[in-house]
Amino acid sequence: MKQGEMLAMILAGGRGSRLKDLTNKVAKPAVDFGGKYRIIDFPLSNCANSGINIVGVLTQYESVLLNSYVAGGSKWGLDTRNSGVFVLPPREKADQGLDVYRGTADAISQNIDFIDSYDPDYILVLSGDHIYKMNYDWMLDFHKANHADATIAVIPVPMKEASRFGIMNTDETTHQITEFEEKPAQPKSNLASMGIYIFTWKLLRKMLVADMKNPDSHHDFGKDIIPALLADGKRLFAYEFKGYWKDVGTIDSLWEANMDLIDKKDELNLSDSGWKIYTQDATEMPQYIGPEANIETAYITQGSRIEGTVKNSVIFTGVTVSRGAVVEDTVLMPGSFVGEGAKVTRSLVKGGVRIGKNAAVGDAASENILLVAKDVKGED
Amino acid sequence: MSSVLGIITASGNKIRVQGLQDYRPISAFSFLGRYRVIDFPVSNFSNSGMDRIQVYVGQNPRSLAEHLGNERVYNINPKRGKLQLLFNQDSRVNDIYNTDVAAFTENMKVIERAPQEYVVITPGYMIFKQNYDELLKSHIESGADVTLLYQKVDNARESYRNCLTLELNRQKGVTEIARNLGTAKEKNIFMDTAVMKRELFIDLLHRAVKTSAICSLSDILNIENENLDIRGVQHKGYLAAITDLRSYYDANMELLNYDLSSQLISSSWPIYTVTTDSCPVHYYQTAKVKNSMVANGCVISGTVENSVIGRDVRIEEGAVVKNCVVLGHTTIKKNVHLTCQVVDKWAQVIHAGEITATPDAPGYIRRDDVI
Repeated sequence: MKQGEMLAMILAGGRGSRLKDLTNKVAKPAVDFGGKYRIIDFPLSNCANSGINIVGVLTQYESVLLNSYVAGGSKWGLDTRNSGVFVLPPREKADQGLDVYRGTADAISQNIDFIDSYDPDYILVLSGDHIYKMNYDWMLDFHKANHADATIAVIPVPMKEASRFGIMNTDETTHQITEFEEKPAQPKSNLASMGIYIFTWKLLRKMLVADMKNPDSHHDFGKDIIPALLADGKRLFAYEFKGYWKDVGTIDSLWEANMDLIDKKDELNLSDSGWKIYTQDATEMPQYIGPEANIETAYITQGSRIEGTVKNSVIFTGVTVSRGAVVEDTVLMPGSFVGEGAKVTRSLVKGGVRIGKNAAVGDAASENILLVAKDVKGED
Repeated sequence: MSSVLGIITASGNKIRVQGLQDYRPISAFSFLGRYRVIDFPVSNFSNSGMDRIQVYVGQNPRSLAEHLGNERVYNINPKRGKLQLLFNQDSRVNDIYNTDVAAFTENMKVIERAPQEYVVITPGYMIFKQNYDELLKSHIESGADVTLLYQKVDNARESYRNCLTLELNRQKGVTEIARNLGTAKEKNIFMDTAVMKRELFIDLLHRAVKTSAICSLSDILNIENENLDIRGVQHKGYLAAITDLRSYYDANMELLNYDLSSQLISSSWPIYTVTTDSCPVHYYQTAKVKNSMVANGCVISGTVENSVIGRDVRIEEGAVVKNCVVLGHTTIKKNVHLTCQVVDKWAQVIHAGEITATPDAPGYIRRDDVI
């Protein structure tokens, strides 16, 4: 990719209210994942690894932590000359008052001036709440080869789940999109939109300017912009992604995505040195596994101390599992503490939560994962 | 603390660690899984608020040059501070000429130009925690010309070989600096760490050069002792001097004591190092791990006991690693049993079967070797 050819905009304003207490104080893209990462590390690392230099991060809900986390871009090496990560919350403008982002498309519309200042040929629109590794440069090659106006990344989903997604109906040989259906009752295809779009900027700019003035629009890519492009007879193509991709919108799916890391298949493969995921550097010492510890199938990161039993679990930075404690099928987020003799099963424990001595949390037979967001009193 | 120039010296010509040092200076040795030895003195300086740091390096500077490329890593404002790597051409004629004074004088202009009033000199082959802000305060309060840091030990007969020792009078005045030849159990081990005014430091260097071509800083301090007020300050806590393979091995092993390692490295006294963006450690179902320190990026399916495991190490099912220090990027294959070994980086132990040594004479497996 030529420098500055494509600029990325990450939609990171959502609350992710289905993540309940995990997103009380932070936006969903800032939620911890996989031991040492935050969700937004994935699109940002993908951008850096794809050779994209300028990334705008559109924030809105509880954005203080997220803003300071992404600012500067040095964590992903995006702080060299002609590159940068720019935090773009809604702002007051000279010719209009302060307005929140009314939808995904509106968030881009309100930052047309920012994008224009870099004058890119293409714009990549991403959502900040998916776990995957993807080379956007290959997608751009596909976009150019098809002389497309817009390219949408899609992933095949099981047909019976297709009605939960935005589905692209395509021509099987050319991959040109013929129809877009949002959560169709009777899906005709299983190609689900991943919420990753490449647009030729000149055209999108025109569309956005028109969309801003349309009082009936939801100002949303899926609901308004994509259907309008199709109605105009523009060339839209589906770029089929092969690999691991997960929407971590609920406690269950967030837990599952963490558990996928210790699955034998390990499709995400975070140890691939050719496509690393970058994140904030921790200064804690290496993990310490104590003399009485039992570790069986686990993903454990720096700064944790394991003196008890950890089975089928993902352990984040600075976690303590005390002697005699048993942690099973559980995700322990940064700095959480499991006291002596405590039992934690099928749970997702929020960062910093303390589970007291001999306390028992979670149920191996439960259908859903228990979110433990408050300290659990024990015998200490 | 911006009035202090921090100087980290190379290990000098009296010390040689077999194997490991063939590839890099001691200061660049991997340590405790994720660090290099140099991270400890540099972090001590940085945590003490010092932001002008000189690191001296002689042979094989590559790994150190790579590692120290970025001040930010050590929490030093790169606009205000500077982490400087100073090379000196070691003499090939005879190693006796390769003294610390020779390294300093080769870079004399840089030391002369530094605006700092004081210097702290500390070695690149020792690991300990020290707040230099406090040490400088006690130096100034005492009115001494030179303050030397030492630790009282009771194992000087078998450890700290070739380190220097301090003879002290009752007022903590230094009466002599001498080499530890293992003649007594109890010794005051000189931690090669000195505080003085920069002017005095430069003056001593000039005098050392005039005295002899092989004069070291400790030699000239000995010679000038009667004209100077040289005092000792006692350090307490973890101290490791890496002077041979065994002391390197012991220094790692000792830190498997969590209480000890968390005194050395804590959130209030972090030890900074370069990140490699390795992912967390993946333990498979067959993994059996006890009393070990494991750095990120490892994939472990085998048995690991009482060991320090570096970054991105693979220990396969059926492999047994006991009482070992395994450096980064190595692979230990099925049915390999290692006991009391130091395995250098990128080694692949595949067909070696059982390799056993004892803690008092650990084995060494070379870098990049496939065995």
